[in-house]
Amino acid sequence: MEQPRVGTDIQFAICGSAGDGTIAAGDIMKRAAALMGFKVIAFDIYPPEIRGFGKCISRIRISDAQTYSLKRHSDVLISLNDAHAIPHVGEVRDFGAVLFEDNSIAELPEGGHISAHIRAAQVPYGFGIREISEKATGLARSRNIAALGYAAGLFNMPPGIFHQIIAEKFAKKPRAVTEDNTRAFDAGVEAAARVFKLDDVSVGRPLSAASGADAVMMTGNGAIARGFLEAGIQAYFGYPITPASSIMERMAAALPREGGRFLQTEDEISAIAATLGAGYAGARAATATSGPGLALMTEMMGLGVMAEVPFVVAVSQRGGPSTGLPTKTEQSDLNLAVYGGSGDAQRIVLAPTNVEGCYRCAGMAFEIAETYQTPVVLLVDLYLSNRFETVIPPRKNIFAPKPRKTPKMGKGEEYQRFRLTESGVSPRSIPGEAGLTHTVTGLEHDEIGHPSDRLHNEMNAKRHHKLLPATHFPGLTTQKRFGDSGKVDVGLLGWGSTFGEILETLYTAQGQDIRVAVMKVVMLSPLPVDEIAAFMDDCTHVLVPELNFEGQFANMISGATGRPVTRLTQTTGAPMLVDDILAELHRLIDSPAPPPTSSHRTAEGVRA
Amino acid sequence: MASPLHHVIIGSGSAGFGAAVTLRKGDPDCRISMMTMDSLPFYNRYDLPQIFQGRSDWRDMLAVPPTFFDENRITLRRHNRVVEVDGVARRIRLAHQETVGFDTLLVCSGGRAYVPENLTDKLPLMHGMGSYEAVMRLYRDLPQGGHAIFIGGDMIGIDLMLMLVKTGYSVTLITTPQTLWPHEVSDEKRGKILAALADKGVTVVDSARPVGIDAGSDQGAARVVTLEDGTEINGDVVVPACGLVASVEFMLRAGVDIERGLLVNPELGTSNEAIWAAGDVCQIWNDEDKVYQFCHGWKNVRIMGELAAGNMQGTHRDFDVRVEDRIDLDEAGNIVSTFWEH
Repeated sequence: MEQPRVGTDIQFAICGSAGDGTIAAGDIMKRAAALMGFKVIAFDIYPPEIRGFGKCISRIRISDAQTYSLKRHSDVLISLNDAHAIPHVGEVRDFGAVLFEDNSIAELPEGGHISAHIRAAQVPYGFGIREISEKATGLARSRNIAALGYAAGLFNMPPGIFHQIIAEKFAKKPRAVTEDNTRAFDAGVEAAARVFKLDDVSVGRPLSAASGADAVMMTGNGAIARGFLEAGIQAYFGYPITPASSIMERMAAALPREGGRFLQTEDEISAIAATLGAGYAGARAATATSGPGLALMTEMMGLGVMAEVPFVVAVSQRGGPSTGLPTKTEQSDLNLAVYGGSGDAQRIVLAPTNVEGCYRCAGMAFEIAETYQTPVVLLVDLYLSNRFETVIPPRKNIFAPKPRKTPKMGKGEEYQRFRLTESGVSPRSIPGEAGLTHTVTGLEHDEIGHPSDRLHNEMNAKRHHKLLPATHFPGLTTQKRFGDSGKVDVGLLGWGSTFGEILETLYTAQGQDIRVAVMKVVMLSPLPVDEIAAFMDDCTHVLVPELNFEGQFANMISGATGRPVTRLTQTTGAPMLVDDILAELHRLIDSPAPPPTSSHRTAEGVRA
Repeated sequence: MASPLHHVIIGSGSAGFGAAVTLRKGDPDCRISMMTMDSLPFYNRYDLPQIFQGRSDWRDMLAVPPTFFDENRITLRRHNRVVEVDGVARRIRLAHQETVGFDTLLVCSGGRAYVPENLTDKLPLMHGMGSYEAVMRLYRDLPQGGHAIFIGGDMIGIDLMLMLVKTGYSVTLITTPQTLWPHEVSDEKRGKILAALADKGVTVVDSARPVGIDAGSDQGAARVVTLEDGTEINGDVVVPACGLVASVEFMLRAGVDIERGLLVNPELGTSNEAIWAAGDVCQIWNDEDKVYQFCHGWKNVRIMGELAAGNMQGTHRDFDVRVEDRIDLDEAGNIVSTFWEH
């Protein structure tokens, strides 16, 4: 059984049907917890179809110490719809709490009530959620808030903070909405006050020195949008696609206010073409998409590489291929992001591992793109895009653009836009700058940009070599090692959202006296090969957990270093579980030598 | 292959739990569902007074680990209030609008605390002692060294009274006709037992009738009990201890015979062949005396549950209604009762 940590480390799961206010209740809970000063990680799951009335779950982990992933077991489950919540009762840990409606107005078949599924070790709290809402507001609509109030009361969370968040959440609606929901919340608190608490879940005072007022709750996509804005983005072109759409929505609302340009294009090809055009014209420009959109964008990515145009493409991965699983998470667009397109089209690919990383990478992406005159892909996935975490942004904008240097030409000197330099970076001008006329084309070209095959080899080398210093870009964490120093039994290499689970695995394994270290790799192209190889030198076994079938990152690592790794891959549409990584880690420790085999987890289980 | 039988047990106390274990032993394939209004899995209620000795974690009181229910495939449904039993259609209806079918039904719903009729409107001012939560509330509301007033003095209450005086609280017992329930003793023995209680530190107010209970002032006592003669007794909590009345309201439309409890034959079967009863809820036919009688006490209740379950599965054993009913003082002056045996 997953033991609760000392101090506060609680995971709430709120489950209901679309329309029950499940996500709204979760939103209030996580924002209230953040305002209390807790660290928060939250992740919402929507129905498997993009539209519909299926199951919604909001999971919120609040803690007084930094955590890196959701827990396998929730401490509290709040059911707003038993039919949907029943399959999730099992995720509540022993002596955790299950809150549910015990005064249904509809006839239920045998087993249709959640009480039939609560294990003896779990603590049931049945109460009249609907009745509380109706008594407080005259309507059942505030059931979600009444249940939230009950939970807040049961776990002794300060109502005043919830009042504040409720007021903020419904600020744009008629005042009666805030008043009704506040009354429903208070009625829930009052109902809980009459209940004898039997679970062992407790919310203590946050120990973090971080002030709740400074903390900001952000999703990965929200952090990307904020990073873009603080970096002075001037143009955004996009076409909606799950799970990247919320980046576009935020840009649509914010960018015009900031004096920038926003356009929803007719498709992804237009979006990236416009982005590239804006980048060529000297604007900080970006688009965002998911795997299917990126597939359409690859031709323009190649043009960006060939024409050495800086722009940024945020890619939030979902289950694939093709339309795939729009609302499920996966890390299977790595190959496409790094290699997608014709020819040798190396570009920079950054994969943040948490929400703060999304903010920082997005904030620095334009600077990197401009420094190396190339497209930058910001690669996240649905789990990170939609995951909420508390972030304490710097008080001062650290991403503000620096003035671009216009190339200075000597008298009679010919401007060579693609001059072969030692660094590979050529003097960049933008259209309209006097004396810097040049040609740009998707055809291979010479140093002034005229189509020519004469320097193809040199230009290929230039386009590759100029990117290599990016692995040490100032202020950017391109890789980082955690855990034991020196030789270790097992080293875990991770990227993207899965790194949170890897880090939790590290701390669990260290508690079991296992010598283990982990390395997160943020820059996936170009790879920080030397650092990765040095890390692997210290590891008896190297394990690479990731959410795709083939082990795309493992293949990349193995190819770059020529060393064997063990793959742990999974395509269940859900984040990888710490327990699964830990089990594989234990299996490796018991293995005498680095095994050449891989493990792959499917819905049916693990196969070697 | 025939579907496995579904045995539904109403109640999760000693009788219900004993029945569930017996049913599982007798039929590895059957379905067993226990419906209870409780929040906790089965625990030993006779351990509840130990809360006043600091044993307050409910997990320490569980008779078996919670996993026992999973391992034995016993579906324990808590917060489930049965509102109606249809003995013909063989289904029960729960307060939350769920209907559950059964092949056999065992009613072990026990009893609720009896409160004298003239005090029923004062229930909100009293503390129960029938469940872990109730005793914990009592524990929390009774200040250290505080004063508890017991009305009645049944054997459950006396057990708690003795613990309270032993752990530094003061106790007043206002006796009623239910004193020493369910034992029926001579006046002489009753006097000796009350004297023994007084000797242990209990203040006994004999032959008095409480007529009122009021919340005290913020500065003074939390509770004031007024007796028929106008005497007022100040205390911190008031506990009714007047015995139990069978909880049978939900059985009124079940088509079984009911008097004060469910009437059962010596095999603990009711007048409906699919419905059985055990524990404090049933009155058992005493063929010798030609009466239906209750058989209380923790040990009797457990035996009844086990026996009823066996009979539900085809054995034909009678419950011996000639159970020992004895209350005495031992050589050290301690009260000993067959009610407390377990």
